[in-house]
Amino acid sequence: MADDKDVLRDVWFGRIPTCFTLYQDEITEREAEPFYLLLPRVSYLTLVTDKVKKHFLKVMKAEDVEEMWFDFEGTSLKWHYPIGLLFDLHASNTALPWSITVHFKNFPERDLLHCPSNSVIEAHFMSSIKEADALKHKSQVINDMQKKDHKQLWMGLQNDKFDQFWAMNRKLMEYPTEEGGFRYIPFRIYLTMSDRPFIQKLFRPISTDGYTHTLGDLLKEVYPVAISNDDESKHYQVVIHGIEPLLETPLQWLSEHLSHPDNFLHISVIPTPSD
Amino acid sequence: MSDNAESPTETQKDEPSTPQQPTEDSGTADDKKKIDVLLKAVGDTPIMKTKKWSVEKGRTVQSLSQFISRFLKMEANEQLFIYVNQSFSPSPDQEVGVLFECFGSDGKLVLHYCKSQAWG
Repeated sequence: MADDKDVLRDVWFGRIPTCFTLYQDEITEREAEPFYLLLPRVSYLTLVTDKVKKHFLKVMKAEDVEEMWFDFEGTSLKWHYPIGLLFDLHASNTALPWSITVHFKNFPERDLLHCPSNSVIEAHFMSSIKEADALKHKSQVINDMQKKDHKQLWMGLQNDKFDQFWAMNRKLMEYPTEEGGFRYIPFRIYLTMSDRPFIQKLFRPISTDGYTHTLGDLLKEVYPVAISNDDESKHYQVVIHGIEPLLETPLQWLSEHLSHPDNFLHISVIPTPSD
Repeated sequence: MSDNAESPTETQKDEPSTPQQPTEDSGTADDKKKIDVLLKAVGDTPIMKTKKWSVEKGRTVQSLSQFISRFLKMEANEQLFIYVNQSFSPSPDQEVGVLFECFGSDGKLVLHYCKSQAWG
């Protein structure tokens, strides 16, 4: 049985082999070769693709280059969603490497937020952590931390430093023993076929009569469609970090071990591929 | 986000807020439902004459932010920061309905707004 701490490392070091290809209509001075990169599941596209930008800028004129953005099979990829979530949601059951198209023009204002600098990513990341702690601890833990501690969380993510990150993040994973868990679990459930971006609600990890809620309990409460089967087959896959955790897994454990660095459980519900 | 979106409607101060929706959450995403938002100014940011607004659940933070900026006649280059719980800044594409569900109290969502970063 894997040690729980090994799970934290496995989650942090998850990678997705990706092939970046320049959009055919971009204006280049000579042919652009595709660029291959291993993307960290737990990071954000605009934080880890400087090399991609440099590679394609070599064959382009400055005047033909605006803000870089990405799409996968026509779907604009939101940089403010973790990379692993984008993959699980849109490309789970496609062949590797993940083929992403790179654009430098016609930024899709309706679909994507702008990302002019890393400080925008940092602000977004820290806001997510604060929102998560508002749910877990009424913001008490994050507010008790100093500014330099907050900075350490960000630097840990930015520089891919597991130990540096977790030295601080472990505080956000603690809870009063008598409570048995966090106040509410920070989670978001993403659906491929839906108008709304995601489901997020208040949900306790431990019920008032001490019952430990599972992943299955959460889904039954907020999105029962995900776990309805007929006898023949499972219609949907419930995916976190590229795996389908057992529905019996305690939600508190999932929150402590399978959350993203932003302290949220990002859960994808995708249709089971028909063979 | 769309400028065609309907402006939030003002709630009458002395009347009860929008008709009571059933308290049981049916789980359906009905964008016609509205939630009550209370806007509070931070620091020396101008105070809105009308603070209570009835906003569609599906409205985004960015859309609401644009509405406040226009209402306060802010310059195009001026930024507006929105905070929930006086602690975090929601993503511009976040729906107010979700924020209300998770962080609403006493039947309303309190949002603080500021021209400069208040809670970093």
